[in-house]
Amino acid sequence: MLAAVRSATLLGVEGRPVTVEVHVATGLPAFQIVGLPDEACRESRDRVRAAVLSSGLLWPSCRVTVNLAPSNQRKGGSGLDLPIAIGFLAANGQIPVESIEGLGFVGELGLDGTMRRVPGIAPMVAAMQPSTPVVAAAGFREAQGVVGDGVKVGGTLREVVDALNVEAPWPHPPDEELVDEEPPPPDLADVRGQGAARLALEVAAAGGHHLLLVGPPGSGKTMLAQRIVGLLPPLAPEVSLQATMVHSAAGVRLPSGGLVRRAPFRAPHHSSSMVSLVGGGSATLRPGEISLAHGGVLFLDELGEFAPVVLDGLRQPLEEGVIRLARARASASLPARFLLVAATNPCPCGGGAPGSCECDDGARLRYLRRLSGPLLDRFDLRVGVARPGVDDLLAGGGGEPTVVVAQRVAAARQRSIDRIGMLNSAIPAGSIDALAPLHPEARVRLRDQLEAEKLTGRGYHRVRRVARTIADLEGAGDLVLDEHVVLALQLRVRLSVTSRDRAA
Amino acid sequence: MSSPPPEAYAAALAGLEEMSLHRLGTLLRNHEPEQAWAVVLGKAPATGLIERVAVQPGVRAAWQRSAEARGPAQVWARCRQLGVEVMSHGGPRYPAALLDDRLAPPVLFAKGDLSLLGGRRVAMVGTRNATAAGRETARSIAGDLAMAGVHIVSGLARGIDGVAHRAVLAAEGEGRPVGIVASGLDVVYPREHSDLWAAVANCGLLLSEVPPGTRPDAYRFPLRNRIVAALSEVVVVVESRERGGSLITASEALERGVPLMAVPGPPSNRASGGTNNLLRDGAAPAIDALDVLTCLALKPFRSAFEVVDQRPRPRIGDIALYRELRLEPRTIDGVALACDLSLVEAAMGLARLEQAGWVAEADGWFECVGSPLR
Repeated sequence: MLAAVRSATLLGVEGRPVTVEVHVATGLPAFQIVGLPDEACRESRDRVRAAVLSSGLLWPSCRVTVNLAPSNQRKGGSGLDLPIAIGFLAANGQIPVESIEGLGFVGELGLDGTMRRVPGIAPMVAAMQPSTPVVAAAGFREAQGVVGDGVKVGGTLREVVDALNVEAPWPHPPDEELVDEEPPPPDLADVRGQGAARLALEVAAAGGHHLLLVGPPGSGKTMLAQRIVGLLPPLAPEVSLQATMVHSAAGVRLPSGGLVRRAPFRAPHHSSSMVSLVGGGSATLRPGEISLAHGGVLFLDELGEFAPVVLDGLRQPLEEGVIRLARARASASLPARFLLVAATNPCPCGGGAPGSCECDDGARLRYLRRLSGPLLDRFDLRVGVARPGVDDLLAGGGGEPTVVVAQRVAAARQRSIDRIGMLNSAIPAGSIDALAPLHPEARVRLRDQLEAEKLTGRGYHRVRRVARTIADLEGAGDLVLDEHVVLALQLRVRLSVTSRDRAA
Repeated sequence: MSSPPPEAYAAALAGLEEMSLHRLGTLLRNHEPEQAWAVVLGKAPATGLIERVAVQPGVRAAWQRSAEARGPAQVWARCRQLGVEVMSHGGPRYPAALLDDRLAPPVLFAKGDLSLLGGRRVAMVGTRNATAAGRETARSIAGDLAMAGVHIVSGLARGIDGVAHRAVLAAEGEGRPVGIVASGLDVVYPREHSDLWAAVANCGLLLSEVPPGTRPDAYRFPLRNRIVAALSEVVVVVESRERGGSLITASEALERGVPLMAVPGPPSNRASGGTNNLLRDGAAPAIDALDVLTCLALKPFRSAFEVVDQRPRPRIGDIALYRELRLEPRTIDGVALACDLSLVEAAMGLARLEQAGWVAEADGWFECVGSPLR
């Protein structure tokens, strides 16, 4: 009259193993779930009973007690429907208790007994290991991406019960053809002109340097930003797995292979709240956009329109690559190592060529003040993007396609990883002289810039890291030359309020 | 307590609500300051035109209310505390340049060296939102004039006004800054110019026609501009849009027969729309400080040999870049495209030109600055 079924719930991007214990006894008919279930979980009483009856199985008058162990953790979501139903049927003698050994169940049940996919299949399946997971057919790819072969699926509760009773074979997993291939990312060859911005994209992708695009509306900032994902190499296996967990936990559709292999591109709107961006929520700690962008690009269009609090919330994850969320009942740490690409207008009116802007200095100052100094400081690359002129459109020609640039990027990344085991943007200030030695001419140039107060101490290190990446892209050897430094300085536009009356 | 001097009454009158230039002028022409104060309070009969104003209930009530809130003793104490000098029209220290003006301020508040108004004075005004080139022009003309011993009169606004005064302070020549402001001398506007206010008061002269504590209301700025024009021997407009506030200073100058000069700009530059219109209407062009000095008759004629450019001449290859930038401001992409260079070559060339001071960059745009390459 007792059965225990293995399952799991989700907290943040991690699965937590849960044992569903079901006790069936004589007594006044009742159905009780204990062990800190949340609302969706407690409602499973009604779904499970209906599903069992609709599947042609029996629900005799008896007293049913379900305990979700460990009982001191909150459990959320509807993924425990299936294990509760299986536990009830086993405790009730409708399936043999031995048959569920070595299996783990996750899935939501419809009132007619169909099995539905729930968010977070990937991390939950990982938490149930080494048990063989049984999931809804729609969650097969996700589960397979994590544990490989051996995932069992079911379309309905009845199919699972028949398979467990050895009255029927396990249903076949869905065929490959059901899923469509991801469209390729937009190509860099579509961009006309914009040499400096193209170079900035290449450098950002090669060195992991955060990038700020400054330009008037219609100058192609968004178009450029979307093309940076194509330049990034496929995710490394461990990053790919982490990204898959995050996407699964957030309920975002996964690509056909079940694993997130291509660098993600997330572009939240500027009205986004703090929680939607960094993650949170009281029960499950759902991952935010910064975690969904893990391994890829977070693009913030109209940076100045984001609430300042939200932007300042990005500073810690930018620094550490993880976001640690803590709530009264639970805490979780979610991966969030992303390349930040942002776009902003130079001033409220949109600006453009000198003399065409209508804002006075005060208005410009107020606009740029919205971007806090510490955040602006984290952009190694700040590039002005101008509306392409007629000449650009006609003579500029489509530049190099993504494929060609991506090869250079991959080679440069390999060079920096061979040298220091990380990307150039992460070179510590202390070892920059050893890792990015300067040609004497370049040294003089940087000294001049510092003396003219066009460069701050922090800006100096950032320029040197960018120059290192530019040298790597050229395959120029270990010495950073003057021309690399000049280009790095050009990719660090002075925002006018800082440049005009005072030094940058 | 001893009763405050007559200037204290005049100062307090200037700070009353509903007190206009004309009302104050009429009051002080017909009455001694102390008596005028009694008129305002309703304790003495008004004479002349002021009778009609003083009987208007709204005006009377506002006068009495603000007079009770802030009397002559308080205004006087505040002026003493700030080191502000108060001058009435016709008084011994009142600037001679303003005495005959049709709209002369009846009361003036000053901080700094009043003797500067006896020297040569040129007003430099312009848009609050100037291009890098405009700023550079303002800087070099103001600096050169200051070196030639000319005092620069301006409004301490953002943009050209501020740049001109900073240049005068940086030049450390005989010429000094004279700032005319629209608010009380202790109400700094715009706030980011607080250092500049202090420096102008220390090294030059700050003037206002309203007592300390007066807010910078929008209507006061055009009034301030008439004093700028009236105090100057020449007015130079550096950059102004077609409807810019500097054009008010220009028309005030024309009305007073003060010579007007304007710095020409490219037709495509909207920040030069107003100045170019002034030139078309007959203003004299001011290309550099020498033009202004000639207009002041401090130099008999222009001589090309006097200007020696300190900047190293660009290399042959970079001159093509410079010539492209003279036509219009460009981004680095624009330069590379126009000169058919690679991004690296363009960047190197621009870096050399910027280093030598031939071009300046802001927001990713490059502009030529300073006197043109000959």
